[in-house]
Amino acid sequence: MTDQDIRLPKAALDRRGFLKGTAAVGAGAMLANMPITRHAFAQGAKGGTLRARAYADIDALDPGFYQNAYNVDVMNCIYSKLIHYKPGREWDWELQAAESIEQVDSTHIRFKLREGMMFTGGYGEMTAEDVKFSFERIIQHDSPVKGDWGPLERVDVEDKYTGVIVLNEPFQPLWNITLPYGCGHIVSKKAVMEATKNGGNFGMEPPCFSGPYVLAEWKPDQYVKLTRNPDYTGPDEVAFDEIRIFPMDDEKTAEIAYEAGDIDYTGISLASLNRYKQDKPDNTTIREHPSLYYVWIGMNTDHPKLKDKRVRQAIQYAINVPQILQAAYFGQAEVANGIVAPGLIGHRERTIVPPEGNQAKAKQLLAEAGAEGLEVTVDTLNASKWKTIAEIAQAQLAQVGITLQINVQDSGSFWTLGMESEGDRWKDLQLIINRFSMVPDPYYATQWFTCEQVGVWNWERFCNEKYDKLHNKAVSETDPEKRDRMYREMQDIMEESGAYRFLTHEGSPIMYRNTIVEPATRPDGRPLYRYANKA
Amino acid sequence: MWIYFTRRLFLALAIVAVAVTLLYVMIHAVPGDPASIMLGPRATPELKAELRAKMGLDEPLPIQILGFFGDLLRGDLGTDVFTGREVGQIVFEKVPFTVTLIATSIGWAALIGIPLGCYSAIRRNTIVDKVTGVLSVSTIAIPSFVMAIYALLIFAVWLKVLPAIGAGAGGLLDTLTHLILPAFAVGVSWVGYLARVVRASMLEVLGENHVRMARAFGLPEKRIVFRYALPIAVLPTITLMGVGVAYLLSGAVFAEVVFARPGIGALIVDAVDSRNYPVVMGCVVVTTTLFVAATTLADLINALLDPRAREG
Repeated sequence: MTDQDIRLPKAALDRRGFLKGTAAVGAGAMLANMPITRHAFAQGAKGGTLRARAYADIDALDPGFYQNAYNVDVMNCIYSKLIHYKPGREWDWELQAAESIEQVDSTHIRFKLREGMMFTGGYGEMTAEDVKFSFERIIQHDSPVKGDWGPLERVDVEDKYTGVIVLNEPFQPLWNITLPYGCGHIVSKKAVMEATKNGGNFGMEPPCFSGPYVLAEWKPDQYVKLTRNPDYTGPDEVAFDEIRIFPMDDEKTAEIAYEAGDIDYTGISLASLNRYKQDKPDNTTIREHPSLYYVWIGMNTDHPKLKDKRVRQAIQYAINVPQILQAAYFGQAEVANGIVAPGLIGHRERTIVPPEGNQAKAKQLLAEAGAEGLEVTVDTLNASKWKTIAEIAQAQLAQVGITLQINVQDSGSFWTLGMESEGDRWKDLQLIINRFSMVPDPYYATQWFTCEQVGVWNWERFCNEKYDKLHNKAVSETDPEKRDRMYREMQDIMEESGAYRFLTHEGSPIMYRNTIVEPATRPDGRPLYRYANKA
Repeated sequence: MWIYFTRRLFLALAIVAVAVTLLYVMIHAVPGDPASIMLGPRATPELKAELRAKMGLDEPLPIQILGFFGDLLRGDLGTDVFTGREVGQIVFEKVPFTVTLIATSIGWAALIGIPLGCYSAIRRNTIVDKVTGVLSVSTIAIPSFVMAIYALLIFAVWLKVLPAIGAGAGGLLDTLTHLILPAFAVGVSWVGYLARVVRASMLEVLGENHVRMARAFGLPEKRIVFRYALPIAVLPTITLMGVGVAYLLSGAVFAEVVFARPGIGALIVDAVDSRNYPVVMGCVVVTTTLFVAATTLADLINALLDPRAREG
């Protein structure tokens, strides 16, 4: 960091002013000469540093064995991949470590690496052999994320920089998920073999880096410090000398930290969005992004009380989605028409059951099924948003004569509720308020609702042969229009089953200090720190 | 005294063993699967089973407990299933943050609360005593998290004189400035609490025969208070502060979440959420030991100061 990078505070009394004042009055010249004091003052300086919030602390930095997007946010900075998500409002990709990449036919993708992409630590230049190693190890070591590589058979190396990815069958998510996201990162074969002996998971200790940043320091539950990689020779010119990411699970804490000036960039809750739009902190820009999450109320189709499709449909019609969103998201979230978010292939323009529902129809369906006076339960997570959704649904169902009992669960208990491997609790499961995340390919969303997933993640126990066939077919369909139709039809089938009442895709608003940073994000608002610019 | 000390030490060890066993059973009785959480939605059943076996979760509970104590005696708290790091390392790098927070919180509370209670007792029924009484009850009544939020808003957001989050990046001054708000929030109710206890205790002692005797001999009031009354009156607060460590441990949980501070509290919340059993048990062992150590220490100090406590 240079002296020019240090910005002086404008306010008469801010934190640094207070610290300096306290030091001067309390300890005077004696303290001024102490190294620790100088260090503490230097902490306040910024300009070359981007301070951002992550919703959780990193816990896996091996791209072959990672879970969770917060790990990928860091990986994006410290590794390189053939292609990456292009920052902006539209889902698209562009070249990163690859000089060129082409789909030779439906199962072969040829790539050529840029020359001179170096690994740190003396591990030399990135080659096609490293690409082969990085991708094949995910399959060989039976990684929990090997699904992202779908039908990968092998990678053929043609020369030092050129290779061909060979698939057993066509796999369209390759371009939307696999290559530009977590599994697409390239690691050094030599470094990983040295670190792990068998090429397996290196966990939290990356043996070397290939991105424009290196992991300089990780203080668990405090911060992740990324500094400029002096050996980086790739195409990306990064703006910040240092990126410091602070894990903060609680959004309200993050918002206060932002207002206090401790961070310059954070996601904000939908509950706070309206307040911030009306009363923005100084030098702040708020950007709203649609999110890829999907939230729904599911119904266990195997439960005796819900076996009759008319009963499930009655519940669908009894639920007024806009009312729920108004209460739980303060009117800041849009109604979802399915599980595939807007902007993606397969997004539906409308639902079969109107979002507002229809109480008369709900009562009629209940009467036809002979289920008047029905009593059911709903399981939900123990956060206020989910409890609010449950309470509004409870009130709405009461209007058609259904009594809803709310069961609140902590996250550890909730996420095993419908799993057959975890005991018999799935048998008692009736209604459930659920939210899944996804990456930008509809395949990722639809895969959880196949017959194979019943009792695993398909807690509605919805099983439809046609749905499964479409799911298997759509993943390899190369015509975007046909693929789009298939995914829309699959969501129609889901909704017609009565097992799902789609609620919302939520939203991902972000807030940043426009005097410090011009952030780069994916269309869903996830940060791409590597491409952030200085304001 | 030595017999008392040895007896207390064995009792403390027994309490730790029983408490840890009970907590082990309770934690494992709650539904949830670390393998599903760690390996994510697309892990195969075989992979999950492999991880469960690696964690020893496929064994019967009594065997798991015996294994846990066996490892514990060898000083091995296990391995974090998520990061692969040693649990001992993870827990002990958090302990200093929590201990510092608790010590600072109870320290400043005692520094203010005890003199305040003493002063109130000496100036009984004056306006100062009444104001102190109202303030004490108010600080006890207002939940700590409300204090925390207002302290954050005032000092971090509006005045911007103190940092809102974290524990600082190193350096004494940086660490101290990051400690002020959490320690204030955690300790503030204890100021009132200690003040009330010391006041009541002082009033009782000031009414005792030896104090009346001292007054009859014409000793200066200052000497009577500081030499003959306060050392006796302060004894109940030592026990109280020992027990208070347990309350402050739970108070530290909210402070560590609200102020995004590292510490045992935040660690245990995350670990319970993800059913990261080795980390949960590591934290349980440490917090139980801290609590038992604090209460034992309080008892020993009491016994040292008051010979009557050693009897029975």
